[in-house]
Amino acid sequence: MKLSVIGAGYVGLTTAACLAQIGHDVFCSESDVEKLAKLQSGIMPFFEPNLEDVIKGVCNAGRLTFGSTEEAIAWGTVIFICVGTPPLANGDADLSSIENAARTIAKRASGYRLVIEKSTVPVQTGSQLRKYLAANRTNGLKYDVASNPEFLREGSSVEDFLHPERIVVGVDSPSAEEILREIYQPVISQSFTCPIHPNCAKRNEPVFLVTDTGSAELIKHASNSFLAMKISFINMVANLCETVGADVTKVAQGMGLDSRIGPSFLNPGIGFGGFCFPKDVQAFIRIAEKAGCDFALLREVEKINQGRIGHLVEKVRNELWVIRGKKIAVWGLAFKPNTDDVRFAPSIALIESLLSEGAKVSAYDPEAMDKAKAVLPNITYCSDPYKAAEGTEAIVVVTEWDEFRRIAWTRIKSVIERPLIIDGRNMLDAKVVADQGFQYVSVGRPSVIPAEARSAEREGPVLAAQDQTAGAMAD
Amino acid sequence: MRIAVVGSGYVGLVAGACFADIGHEVILVDNDRQKVAALTQGQVPIHEKFLPELLERHRGHRLTFSGDLHAAVEASDAVFIAVGTPSTERGDADLSYVESVARGISGAINRYKVVVEKSTVPVYTSEWIRKIILRNAAAPDSFDVASNPEFMREGTAVSDFFYTDRIVIGADSERCTAMLREIYAPLTDGSYYQRPDAIPRPDRAQIPPPMVVTSTKSAELLKHACNAFLAMKISFINAVASVCELVGADVHQVCLGIGTDSRIGSRFLNPGIGYGGSCFPKDLRAFRAVAREHGYEFRLLDEVMLINEDQRRRFLHKVHSALWTLRGKRLAVLGLAFKGGTDDIRESPAILVTQMLLQEGCQVAAYDPAAKERAREVFGSAVEFADNPYDAARGADCHRWTQSL
Ligand SMILES: NC(=O)c1ccc[n+]([C@@H]2O[C@H](COP(=O)([O-])OP(=O)(O)OC[C@H]3O[C@@H](n4cnc5c(N)ncnc54)[C@H](O)[C@@H]3O)[C@@H](O)[C@H]2O)c1
Ligand SMILES: NC(=O)c1ccc[n+]([C@@H]2O[C@H](COP(=O)([O-])OP(=O)(O)OC[C@H]3O[C@@H](n4cnc5c(N)ncnc54)[C@H](O)[C@@H]3O)[C@@H](O)[C@H]2O)c1
Repeated sequence: MKLSVIGAGYVGLTTAACLAQIGHDVFCSESDVEKLAKLQSGIMPFFEPNLEDVIKGVCNAGRLTFGSTEEAIAWGTVIFICVGTPPLANGDADLSSIENAARTIAKRASGYRLVIEKSTVPVQTGSQLRKYLAANRTNGLKYDVASNPEFLREGSSVEDFLHPERIVVGVDSPSAEEILREIYQPVISQSFTCPIHPNCAKRNEPVFLVTDTGSAELIKHASNSFLAMKISFINMVANLCETVGADVTKVAQGMGLDSRIGPSFLNPGIGFGGFCFPKDVQAFIRIAEKAGCDFALLREVEKINQGRIGHLVEKVRNELWVIRGKKIAVWGLAFKPNTDDVRFAPSIALIESLLSEGAKVSAYDPEAMDKAKAVLPNITYCSDPYKAAEGTEAIVVVTEWDEFRRIAWTRIKSVIERPLIIDGRNMLDAKVVADQGFQYVSVGRPSVIPAEARSAEREGPVLAAQDQTAGAMAD
Repeated sequence: MRIAVVGSGYVGLVAGACFADIGHEVILVDNDRQKVAALTQGQVPIHEKFLPELLERHRGHRLTFSGDLHAAVEASDAVFIAVGTPSTERGDADLSYVESVARGISGAINRYKVVVEKSTVPVYTSEWIRKIILRNAAAPDSFDVASNPEFMREGTAVSDFFYTDRIVIGADSERCTAMLREIYAPLTDGSYYQRPDAIPRPDRAQIPPPMVVTSTKSAELLKHACNAFLAMKISFINAVASVCELVGADVHQVCLGIGTDSRIGSRFLNPGIGYGGSCFPKDLRAFRAVAREHGYEFRLLDEVMLINEDQRRRFLHKVHSALWTLRGKRLAVLGLAFKGGTDDIRESPAILVTQMLLQEGCQVAAYDPAAKERAREVFGSAVEFADNPYDAARGADCHRWTQSL
């Protein structure tokens, strides 16, 4: 089918590439001329695993073209709107890019169009879009509007798009449902050629859920808000564990085994960030507020999250006493691993806070340094984690990049000023780093003193001994 | 192993019967003499699937009942405390029953014993139990205090015991951990499930269940954290339901849409009139109090509780908007237990809503397949109790049905 995608960001580009991969002829537009030029000459505008390969493949096969939004609208009868919906100062979603796209559609399109919101938008945006198109159409346009919220995660977007758990379509007409079902048929039946792993094991057929437009819009906000709440909950429990001397890892393990709770999103740390969670929670609060319902539960979720950076800085201060003039290494800048996205990343607030207290920060991230330079010009960027650690008095781990699990700690030990690790993600193995002579401070667990100091020190229960040794799940 | 279970309520009775079924010698203790007598004679005081069979199977052989705590402890290697821990006026857990059992245990430590908290208790309770037993002159190495929180749900308690999502053991010494592992070995090594007379396996169950071994404090905290999370899940979806009503979306579709996300899961995502029962409300209050005691204001939980209270008001509001005035109207209430499959009415939303309806001057006819007798103790003659839903509904202006959570 001939499909158009408006907006070539994380969501739009992935959508366009994957729809082409499963056999459609796709035209993708982008309003940022620089970005468009890059795409047209085969350069990726951002880092995302597997995406480049998929794009190369489908472009070579002639199934994906880039160009202007006007061209995109002329291309096919189905239009996916994938433009950004960032938050306004008051927490509302800024829908001006959506309106822009709608304006172009109303002006340029003739005949029938199925307009699909893929961007995350507040409930009732669908009916607003309908009204807008009705009032502004020029060439006798006939249209349907549908909602098809996107659940992909940066860092695994191609995989998430092609092997989703569910596809949600909010429609108000049977023909719109039919078209969407046909578009997604290869994904629903998992019958396409998987570009990532030819013998793909992950072949569970997704649930195809058809709802009304408003419910589909709400599903996206409710999902993200729930997950954000899960994170804030476990962060609160982590605080409690720190005070009473319990181990949040164990608590989370025991909770996660409950099939009504589930293990994912129960990792305590420095809080959620990124382009989606903070803004989607905010937007959901505003949606509820406008509907006359005070979603105070979510305001607490936000508050807990906002306290996480201060909590981590407090840990740094606890160990270093005075922060002014100290050199501190920050490992990881992206808001999560496998992406170069630093929008609303906790690293930024953390580094700004450290800088404001007079620290000197040297940072390393395998992918996100270019993007970070624009936001944080006043820190030293290093080409590897070892250089970043040189002469510092603490390493603060902020993003769970896998390579931080494979560090040669003896090398770090030889260049660092003080062997102190503050792990904001609980990602390192406490025993390994303590054996290498590091002091290890993490979230929601007792801090661990290096092996040599432990034998020297008399009074002993520095680490929750039973928790670490008896540890692990039996069977 | 020889096990004493102190407290023969929902948890104690079920756990005791199940321990007997996996091969242990169990003495069930209760200070309620009538209860002990009734149990000895073969009565089953609570409505719980498979419990009558298990009691029948083991009563008088591996399972005995007693009012004598001292003798029971002396005869046992492990003592499980399963007495109630209700809320005090201030919202924290009332530990006086636990304390009195601890005192009772202290005089009966004639050899090494493990004292296990099965009741849901605030973090640090184990240290209090330890202190009390020590104060009464037991030798420090003659006992350990451990935590083994219970996750069974009323209505499916027996199945839940055998087919649990996980067994949590909180212990601070090797010796104590080893004993608890041994107690649960027939489940964790899978041998129980081979038996022809094993309690049948529910669809979802994974066997053998995983075991989480941790410190006592972490185990204590874990139980409160689980219940608080589940209550939060319910309140979340109830709040989403309110938003749906206001914007004209369909909350059931929203539930389907978010429940298919494996990081969320579809269970406990049913909107309704809020959670109730003997556990969630009190455990939430207790967890809130624990946090406060340690200097944290767990406001997230306040919001969970506020939403829950609000659900009942919203429900009453719906009745109002359907019937306009309520005084003198005849209403049928179908379901009184706090959820389906049980006769427990403690903090049941159905009871609270019925009370609100009575206050509004309604005439209420109620039906519940299991909880009628217990509800009669609350309402006396203020409510008419029917023998089936049709009688209850006869001539009613409106009825409600409690769905299981
Ligand atoms: N990033 C994620 O992980 C994710 C996941 C699910 C949903 N979403 C939602 O999807 C939407 C897009 O997110 P994103 O991360 O891809 O944003 P993004 O900012 O990376 O991409 C949006 C792109 O659209 C372009 N654009 C704006 N107006 C345009 C127009 N009129 N014509 C053509 N191009 C236009 C922008 O230049 C930009 O490149 C948001 O609503 C977001 O909430 C994002
Ligand atoms: N009911 C559940 O579904 C459930 C699930 C998990 C955990 N829990 C927890 O388990 C504990 C017990 O709950 P329950 O529902 O079984 O309570 P319950 O009220 O049904 O039972 C408590 C029993 O203890 C007895 N008792 C009280 N003081 C005693 C004493 N000094 N000596 C001997 N017996 C004594 C009482 O007579 C009663 O029979 C609570 O902490 C509860 O939070 C309950």
